[in-house]
Amino acid sequence: MINLIAVYKEAIADFSRNKVRTFLTSLGILIGVFAVVILMALGLGLKKYISDQFEALGKSTLFLVPGRVLSGGGFSASVSSLTGRFDNRDLENLKRIDNVIGVAPIALKSAKVMGTIKEDFADILFSSEAIVDIMGFEVDMGRFFNKNDVTKRAKVIVLGPRIASDLFGSSEEALGKKIRIENVRFTIIGITKSRGGGGMGGFDYDKYFYGPYTTGYIFNPDKKFFRLSVKVKSENYISQVREDIKQKLLKRYEEEDFSIVEPTELMTAITSIFSILNLVLVAIAAVSLVVGGIGIMNIMYVTVSDRIKEIGIRRALGAHQSDILYQFLAESILLSLTGGFLGLAFAYLGIFFLNRYFPAYIDGLTVVISLVVSSAIGITFGVFPARKAANLEPVEAMRYE
Amino acid sequence: MINLQKVSKVYKLDSEIVFFALKDINLTIKEGEFCSIMGPSGSGKSTLMHIIGLLDKPSSGKVFIEKKEISNLSDDEISNLRNEFVGFVFQQFNLIPKLTVLENVTLPTIYTRSALSFNPRERADEILTKFGLKEKTHSYPNRLSGGQQQRVAIARAMIMKPRLILADEPTGNLDSKTGHEIMTLLRKLNEDENLTVALVTHESDIASYAKRVIKIRDGEIL
Repeated sequence: MINLIAVYKEAIADFSRNKVRTFLTSLGILIGVFAVVILMALGLGLKKYISDQFEALGKSTLFLVPGRVLSGGGFSASVSSLTGRFDNRDLENLKRIDNVIGVAPIALKSAKVMGTIKEDFADILFSSEAIVDIMGFEVDMGRFFNKNDVTKRAKVIVLGPRIASDLFGSSEEALGKKIRIENVRFTIIGITKSRGGGGMGGFDYDKYFYGPYTTGYIFNPDKKFFRLSVKVKSENYISQVREDIKQKLLKRYEEEDFSIVEPTELMTAITSIFSILNLVLVAIAAVSLVVGGIGIMNIMYVTVSDRIKEIGIRRALGAHQSDILYQFLAESILLSLTGGFLGLAFAYLGIFFLNRYFPAYIDGLTVVISLVVSSAIGITFGVFPARKAANLEPVEAMRYE
Repeated sequence: MINLQKVSKVYKLDSEIVFFALKDINLTIKEGEFCSIMGPSGSGKSTLMHIIGLLDKPSSGKVFIEKKEISNLSDDEISNLRNEFVGFVFQQFNLIPKLTVLENVTLPTIYTRSALSFNPRERADEILTKFGLKEKTHSYPNRLSGGQQQRVAIARAMIMKPRLILADEPTGNLDSKTGHEIMTLLRKLNEDENLTVALVTHESDIASYAKRVIKIRDGEIL
């Protein structure tokens, strides 16, 4: 049995004699592990962020969008999804389906609006009172528009808290104020509670205006909606309701003209895109690990050349080829593991700071993988120099000066 | 103990020219013997010692150690023999500079595949004390004189309790006074511990410490 402890002890002693060289050699692995771990952490964080966002939508909601959204498992935002298609007749049809407890049509409008503090662009989401339940809005101040407002085509508007304070300084200031959207004067009747989120291309609900869809017809003479959100009584009825909706819509539209999307489906699609993107980035970062490994291989060849005579002496004293192999392999593994540990430590630090701006976290698996990968690199790139050392002829090695 | 039969070592310098470092050597070294192999440089004496010490293999002929033919042995078996059966002493001392005296002396013990009959640290202390190197135990080789380094090398050769000590010009890098001290030490080991010692040298007065002198010239025993 070879004395592994002695082998590692000696390798560590060698490193402490060459601290700078050891550090520089590990640097490649350090950077590689750092980059891979940071990117994996960002990927994980993003995935969690997306699923949190969808979780908020609830599992008993279906979305009706024009065109094919999820075709072949992928996610393709077709042009038609940006334009309106559904109309009031669809809305009424859907409301009559069993186990549907609410349908919210959605039409979007962007306009320049004037607050007391500044002028800004606002996105206005016109919908029905059902949106409150579907999106889970809560009102901070005043009230949300109700069925009556929808019927009367009331010129009322509800603001997200961010846009309210952007335009008026605070929610208190905004409440009750009149605001002009194009040539129509609306009264601000409520401010929603903050939902957070946004900032990463997702909806930032805190920056929206919300108005009754009937009033929205002013800006939408075709009376078309770009989306219908359907609230189902419970999760259990989702597939049945989905089929009913499909049958209803097929009477008016071709199959490829609309899609019925479940939030979980959409989430899976989006998550898979990000996962692929993340994988590509991680793969690119992993190239630096290979470069780091080559650095280790290079320095290990130098170490072997530096120590040919020593290898010869050890062989003369009875070292087996495997003893020499393990000695050099131990050094390369220690080198890359050192880099791996340091890279991981820096990544932890990086993630700690990154977390202020971006969701990112590492799980135990990432830690295990990065350490396994660094030792694997040590073995892969160390084995060639180590074999060169082990296969030296004792006599010739000893003669070497 | 050691028996060489028609051993030759040939180096191919070119596709045409071959050089016989050793030519049909027949040699027997008996248990407990102190012999020297003497010859001028280039006579093949170092090659002969490398073959006896299993550091090199002959091009032809047979080498028996304890009546065992070594050409059939695997590299691991040969390594074990180098570790347990032979102890080497070199002209250049060949200590490992980054290891302390103690670490150098105990180095062979980490490579052994059999259970040790002794505690390496205790045995190293014992030998170093006997050789008058006790206070140098934790020094590095470069802080030692040539004579001290060679005594450390002999201590290292002794640690595994070998049956045979092979010394290749052990006094070559030492002044004559120190050289004679080293030779006295080797002779003492041979007499007191019944160790077989084979010595390679080109100096006749060093060779004369041995009870038997084998002269070699141009790869042949005279």
